[in-house]
Amino acid sequence: MKIFFNLVMATLKDMIRDKMTVFWFILFPVLFMFLFGMIFSGPQNVNFDLGVVVEEPDFFAQSFLANLEQVEMLTLFQGSLEDELDALGQRKRNAVLVLPDIQFGPDLFNEDQSNESVAIPVYYDASSQANKVLIFMLSEIFNHVERGMQNRARIFTLDAKPVQAESLRDVDYLLPGILAMALMQLGLFGSLRLVYLRERRILRSLGATPLPRTHIVLSEIIIRLLMAAIQTLLIILIGHFVFDVQIMGSWWQVLGAVFFGAAVFVSIGYMLVTFAKTEESGNGIIQVVQFPMMFLSGIFFPLEFLPAFLKPVVRAIPLTYLGDLLRSIIIGVPYAFGLTTDLLILSGWLIVSLIMTIRFWRWD
Amino acid sequence: MKQLKGSADLASIVVRELTKRYGNLTAVNQISLVVETGEIFGMLGPNGAGKTTTVEILVGLRTADAGEVKVLGFDPVTEDKKLKRSIGVQLQMPALFPRLTVEEALQLNATFYPDPFPVDQVLEWMGLTDRRKMFTHKLSGGQLQRLIVGMAIIGNGKVLFLDEPTTGLDPQARHNLWDVFQLLQKMGKTIFLTTHYMEEAQYLCDRVAIIDHGSIIALGTPDQLIGDQFEEKAIELSEMGSENETILRELPGVTRVQTAHNQITLYSTHVEATIRELIQLEAEQRLAISGLAIRKASLEDVFLKLTGRSIRQ
Repeated sequence: MKIFFNLVMATLKDMIRDKMTVFWFILFPVLFMFLFGMIFSGPQNVNFDLGVVVEEPDFFAQSFLANLEQVEMLTLFQGSLEDELDALGQRKRNAVLVLPDIQFGPDLFNEDQSNESVAIPVYYDASSQANKVLIFMLSEIFNHVERGMQNRARIFTLDAKPVQAESLRDVDYLLPGILAMALMQLGLFGSLRLVYLRERRILRSLGATPLPRTHIVLSEIIIRLLMAAIQTLLIILIGHFVFDVQIMGSWWQVLGAVFFGAAVFVSIGYMLVTFAKTEESGNGIIQVVQFPMMFLSGIFFPLEFLPAFLKPVVRAIPLTYLGDLLRSIIIGVPYAFGLTTDLLILSGWLIVSLIMTIRFWRWD
Repeated sequence: MKQLKGSADLASIVVRELTKRYGNLTAVNQISLVVETGEIFGMLGPNGAGKTTTVEILVGLRTADAGEVKVLGFDPVTEDKKLKRSIGVQLQMPALFPRLTVEEALQLNATFYPDPFPVDQVLEWMGLTDRRKMFTHKLSGGQLQRLIVGMAIIGNGKVLFLDEPTTGLDPQARHNLWDVFQLLQKMGKTIFLTTHYMEEAQYLCDRVAIIDHGSIIALGTPDQLIGDQFEEKAIELSEMGSENETILRELPGVTRVQTAHNQITLYSTHVEATIRELIQLEAEQRLAISGLAIRKASLEDVFLKLTGRSIRQ
């Protein structure tokens, strides 16, 4: 144990004194957070003009409108269906929402949900990609209202705050994304150190000392988890105190997800460099993997933006699920795939890469 | 074989018919040797002779293809954990984290062993006390070499394996290291070292094995080896062309003539008679002597005679 502790301390010193390590693993994510935070948290340029047609100004319609008014990005216009569609045609509206006259019978509150759902028509300008975000947002708001309705005790007592969180302010969306990116890079690029130690035959020479080889790898992993914790702390503190991102999850949930994510990517990192003879070739392999992964995983923009033919790729890569997990835990958006799916697929990657690494890893 | 068995009780290292092949190349070919406890044993040979492979097998970093190896009674492959705690190993590749200081590197290695020497002691032995705060990647070649020898020594192991420990050192530093090795020997350590420096083997080693192309071609104390091969003394004539070989061969007492690098070495059983005749030849202007030195035969001569080559070729 004392040997292990000393090794961890020595490895830590060796790593921290490498300015590149400190830059890439600590400073870079922080800079990223600041830079993109400033770009996306300033006065919102994004503004949607939403026409609302109220067929029957009942309590439901009133409370729904009240919810919509809370969303800063929306400017609401009320009018007849004809007028509003006209405005949409002239591009004066991004979308027109029709709140139908809902019959508040006992059926609607029936828990068995056998009754048909109420269709709420939304007309929108499909030529602009940005409007898809609006539709996504609206459906989130409806989901929210619906959840409220199914919970009898809380009918129509919606408070505005969660809707704000769900309205996908870019900086909110960005924070878990940056964290996911940082964890991925820490895990993948961090594995290069062992390749360096192997290439320089340092691993081989250490093999002639009583130091067990497993200690070397374990100390590497422990230090990476430590760095993951530091990254998380920095990014979340900056996000919260500088850019006012509301953190939904508890610390232990966030740290649990972060450590799990770090473990998955550390393991994948070692699998990727198993066959790399030099640090440079290892670096090349990792670049090829991490760069597309960053953009196809939806950690920086909603998956809805990606073309359909890429969906199978998106569905296969681990970063997608780590992003989903962190987003849900940190800022509280609903899971895109579900907590169980996220955990299962990430565990799958962890186990497969561990087995591959242990099977094929060479010490010299 | 009987002698080998008898001395095995006192022996730190016992090697029997050890063989290691890499594909078609036989790196180590059926070597047998016994190193007594408290001995400084040298393995002398040119680069690529199989020295490093032998060391790596002895310390459990490689497995042998055939033969038997015991170090301190342990099998280096199956009992490597016990073995590694009681030996110190210096390989030609330094096992160094680049951004540790000299002191930290030594301290780290010290923690791997049950009863290490104090860091200050080793720093002093290695002449690195004033470099203790320096990062290892900033050390000069000689300083780095001394550091990795120090890292092998600091574990206070019973047997030290040193693979070319003085390579790249200036003569002063080399002599300092020899003093340290002799001090360690007085403390009861066994030292197994490889070298391609003849003078190192001759000065430092109690016994020497000369290895070439994977085989041991001579084994004994330096004096034995020289005595076995040479009753003669060597007379070195510099700036002497090989066209004079025939005349020189006829001189009284001369048994053999070696020509290398514009220098002729005569091996003579009667040095005085040979010299007298040489001077006579010069007086008759049949020979121009520009440099002449008389010395006892050395391991260099032994190697030259056994292999037909100089060790540095």
